[in-house]
This record gives sequence, C-alpha cells and structure tokens, in this order.
Amino acid sequence: MKRDHAFLLMVIPAFVLFFIFHTYPALQGVFYSFTNFKGYGNWDFTGFTNYFKVFQDSRALGAYGFTFQFAIVSTILVNIISVLIAMGLNAKIKFRKTLRATYFLPFILSVLIVSYIFQFIFTHMVPDLGQALGIEALSKNILGDQDLAWIGIVIVAVWQSVAFNTLLYLAGLSTVDEQLYEAADIDGAKAWSKFWRITFPLIAPFFTINMVVAMKNFLMAFDQIIALTGGGPGRATESISLLIYRGGFEAGQFAYQSANAVIYFIVIVVISVVQLRILERKEVK
Amino acid sequence: MKKHYGKFLVTAGTAAAILAGCGGGNDDGSVTLELFSNKSESIDTYQALIDQFEEENPDINVELEAPPEAETVLRTRLTKNDMPDILSIGGNATYGEFAREGVLRDLSDTDLLSQVQSSYVDMLGQLAGPDTEGSFGVPYATNANHVIYNKAKVEELGIEIPKTWDEFIAALETAKEAGEVPLYLTLQEAWTGMAIWNGVAGNIVPEDFAEMKNNGEASFVEDYDEVAEKMLQLLEYGHSDNFGIGYGDGNSAFANGEGVFYIQGNWAIPEIREANPDVELGTFALPSSNNPEENNLVSGVDVALAISESTEHPEEAEKFLSFMLEQEVAEQYMNEQSAFSAVEGVYQEDEVFDGIREYFENDRLTSFQDHYYPAGMGVENLVLDMLINGNKTEGLEVIDSEWEAAQNR
Repeated sequence: MKRDHAFLLMVIPAFVLFFIFHTYPALQGVFYSFTNFKGYGNWDFTGFTNYFKVFQDSRALGAYGFTFQFAIVSTILVNIISVLIAMGLNAKIKFRKTLRATYFLPFILSVLIVSYIFQFIFTHMVPDLGQALGIEALSKNILGDQDLAWIGIVIVAVWQSVAFNTLLYLAGLSTVDEQLYEAADIDGAKAWSKFWRITFPLIAPFFTINMVVAMKNFLMAFDQIIALTGGGPGRATESISLLIYRGGFEAGQFAYQSANAVIYFIVIVVISVVQLRILERKEVK
Repeated sequence: MKKHYGKFLVTAGTAAAILAGCGGGNDDGSVTLELFSNKSESIDTYQALIDQFEEENPDINVELEAPPEAETVLRTRLTKNDMPDILSIGGNATYGEFAREGVLRDLSDTDLLSQVQSSYVDMLGQLAGPDTEGSFGVPYATNANHVIYNKAKVEELGIEIPKTWDEFIAALETAKEAGEVPLYLTLQEAWTGMAIWNGVAGNIVPEDFAEMKNNGEASFVEDYDEVAEKMLQLLEYGHSDNFGIGYGDGNSAFANGEGVFYIQGNWAIPEIREANPDVELGTFALPSSNNPEENNLVSGVDVALAISESTEHPEEAEKFLSFMLEQEVAEQYMNEQSAFSAVEGVYQEDEVFDGIREYFENDRLTSFQDHYYPAGMGVENLVLDMLINGNKTEGLEVIDSEWEAAQNR
C-alpha cells in the first residue's frame, strides 16, 4: 500500500498541472466553440453554427489544403533523409561521434531563430548567388512567390526536423544484430536487399513512430511560417494553426476559431490512429 | 493550438498577479497606473515623459507596457477582464470595437477633448460607429500616408512634384527611362501594400464606403475597380523582386539610393533616416485622381489615448492625459516620433513634411479606408493576392465575399 502512495505522489503533481494548463483550457475551448464568444464581452449559445460555417469558409479550406500538402511532403522527405543519415552515422566511419553531434545541432536551436536566418538566406543570399550565376529561377526570393513559398517552408522544416528523427532511427539501428548482416553477406545479398529485407523490417517500429510524430508536428506548423512568410504571399502559406491564432486572437473570432480547432483536433487524432493501424500491421511481429 | 491556450493562460495569470500586486493603491497612498502602448517605436519617448510626469506627481506611479503584437496581447487581456488603466492605441478597427463594446471610459464630460482638433475626434467617433454615444478616446498623434521621394534623384531627373495621377505616372516613366527604380515596393510584407491601397482609395472611394457596403449599397467590385486598376499599373514601375523584399529591407534600400519614390506613411521616415542619416527626403500626397482639387491627404489617428472603463483610478488617469496634452509635452512627443499632432497649437515642423503641411492647415484630409473594414478579414493578404495574380475583378469579388464572411462570424 505504501508503495502505491509513493507512486501516486509522483504522478499527481504532473497530472494536476497538465489538467490545469492543458486539459481545462482545451475543454474551455470546446465549450466556447458552441457560443458566439468574441474573446470578451457577452455571449450566447449558438449550437453547431460555428461548425457549419467552418466547412463553408474558403479561407479555412485553403489553409487545410496548404497544411496537408506541406505536412505530407515534409513527412516523407524527413523520413527518407533521416534514414539515410542514420545509416551513414551508424556505419563505422571516422569522426562518427562528432558527426552525430553535428547532425543533432539543428534540434537544439530555436525554430524561430533558424527560420529568421533562413529568411535572410532566401531574401538576400540565394538571389545574390542566382544573379551572380545568371540562374533565373534562383534570382528572386522564393518566399515572395505564391507557388514556391511553401517549398521554402518545407526546406526549413525538414532541415530542422531531420535531427530528431535521425536520432530515433539511430536508436533503432543500434538494436539490429550485426550477425544478421554477416549471414546475409555469406548468402551473397546485395546492399539494397540487405536494407529492404533486414534493416527496414527490424526498424519498422521506429519508422511508425517517426511517421506519426513527424506528421503530427508538421500538421501543427506555426513558428516556421510566422518567421518565414507570415502566411503569405497573400494566403498561400497560411497553416491551420496560424489561421486559428490570427482569427481567434487578432480578429475577435474566438468561438469560431475554437470550433475550427476542435475540428482540427479530431482530424489529427483520426490521421494518427489510421497511420498507426496501417503501419503497425506492416511491422514484423 | 492547445499550446497557445496554455501560453495565454500563463500570460494572463502572470499579468493578473502583477496587477494584484501593484494596482489598487499602495500602502503609502501612492497610486500605480498601467499605461499600455501599441508602439514599440515610442518606448523611449514615453519613458522620458513618464519620468517627467512622476516628478510632477510624486504620488502617481506610471508603468509603461509596450509588448510586441500589442493588439493581440490587449485582446487576450480583455478576455480576462484585465485591462490596463490607460491605453495608447491606434485609431483603427480594434479601437472601434473597444469603443462599441463599452471597454473604454466616456470622456465627453472632461475638458480633454476641447484641446484637440475636432476633425480627429469625429474620425474616432466614426470608427465607433453611428450607434455609439459618447467619445472614448483623445486623438493625440496623427499620421499621414504619402509618397516619400529621394530629393537628390528627383532633382537630377528634373521631375516636378506631380499633382495629378497622369503626372505621377509620367514621373515614374521618366525615372524608368533613366534606368532608376521608379517606385520601391516592399510587398513581401502584405501590410505595406495597404499604404498604396489606402493612398489610392482615399481620394476615389466614397468616405462612407464601409457603411454603404454593410447596407448592401456598395461593393468592392464596383467602387474599388479604379483603385485596383491603378495599383496594378503601379506594379509596372517596381523593381525586379516586388514580392520578395520586406519593409525593413525596403527602408534601408530606399535610404541608400534605390528607388525614386516610396509610398509609405510618416512612420517610415525615422527608419529611413536611421539607415542613412544623410539622405534627403521629401513628401507629397499621392495624387490618385486627375483633378488636383480632389486629391486630399490620407491621414488617421496614429495614437489615441483612452482610459479603461474598469480602472480604479480614473482621476489620476485623466491627470496623465491632461499632462500629455500640455503644449511642451506634445511638442516633444511629435518631434521625437516624426508624428503630426492632433493637439491644438502644436505643429510638426520637420522640413521633410513641407510638401504636405498645407493639407493639414487647410483641413484637406481623408481617412484610411481600411480602418473601417471588419477587423478579421485580413484584407492585406487578399489585396496582395490580387496584385500577384493580376486578376482585378476576381480579386475584388473575393474581398467582397470575405467581408461578408467576417461580418457574420
């Protein structure tokens, strides 16, 4: 019995804090999504009106479109690049530890600062370089182009996220038994089939968690976008988080954007669950 | 998203704790007022004036709060019913909303309003809307949306200051032929496009457009057609990367001799001078009409002083406002901020504004159109969208429908 108390004491403070600062405000948000609350003043219940309006809101739909495009492309790129880097860093190469530390650096830098630095690079350095080399496509700031700005955001997001995902893959790779590769060598397996038949199935659980975490993080992208484009040009790179923040806190649409947030919460939960189901089925049990 | 709720609660909580600690009269009988300002540019000026005020009134303490993203901060604090005692905010749609919602104290019965120009009092009244009785803000500093020009270049090119739209286009044409960048655009930041939008619309669109639009008597497609047309025309006179350069970079580029004309407000002038103290600048009102008599200067209330309805020390807050309206104090503020004064008898003397002074003296002023738009529609991004795609009618249709959507959210 005493041990139970000790464990409870460990858990309760975290639970209380989590509830006060996370669960309770979230529930409040759900509550207000059924009202016409502006963020202040009086309000009335309006039922599901806000929810119906979100579905007819072209701005919200545009934001969903951009966010999914960005999140899917970034998730795929991050996972491909992380696996490659992790395999490189797992091999017996010189300076392995130094390289590992270097590749992890982006993760400990603040997203905002990194984004502002990249904004400078895109605005000044890349166009200067493009002009010097006479390359038309590079001589303008891509963040100023509605069709290309999202690529700039993908570059920054991927550059930064690769660090953490590489770390997870490295952990995965260290669980693979070297003897398996030796056996494969004796059987005359090529590099590709060694990866596809041995490495990948064995690190599949890490692949699953990386896909889910990366996708969820990118769906909630905010900082990179604020710093790089502010959602522009026009509304070309307005993510859903940014729209909720803008509308909810800057435009007196607190209740309406709460409804948007509730919908988005459900969407993210559904996507994560579906991803887990599909990917876990493919894992080697 | 959940992250933001969390942050917001913490912020509100801290703010409440601070207020609880220092508000409500201290033990020694002194009173602490919180002054909330939405301009980071004026922090030093305010701080100096506050020191002076505190010296004159030893029993009043004024704490200045000028956070970034000030309007957002103010709204979140409003959510918690935790308003600062004195507000120094812009005369825009947010001010109108505050005045309508009864957040601000009615100042009609004080002698504060008699010390400022009545046309700006009316302008604030219009923001609050026709159904709101009373005056809730004292217009203090005002601004101007104008064309800034590089004096050396204009003289070198032999350009005369244009009085009509055609003359302006001809001047841009002359600059273009001489191989200069005629008009420096900074459209990576969407709001800078609104300086042009407001400048052009101020003389073309009826001043009560917003009211007419809400009554279904006007629309962007009809009334802004010419505005959109002229903005698209101006794009032809930009530089090679109109949508890739932002405000800060634009100010320093213009200061260092790139561009002959630059459409911005007076707030950009201190920034340009900071980037190059030797640059010689001039200003004129954007002549968006071909009839010189119709061309007025777009001007708005840059800083309105207000007292919150919930303050516990209305008398002390009024005392501070009277102090701000004193001639010497107002002069110091206007000079340091390159702002124009709404206070009677105080004038902006900087010679850079020689070209627009007559508009103030003869009351040839018109307001910023977008101050009357619904706060939530994000019109700057819609305008930018139209400029990028060059689709005038389609772009204006979107603005029309977004207005309606913002109204019933």
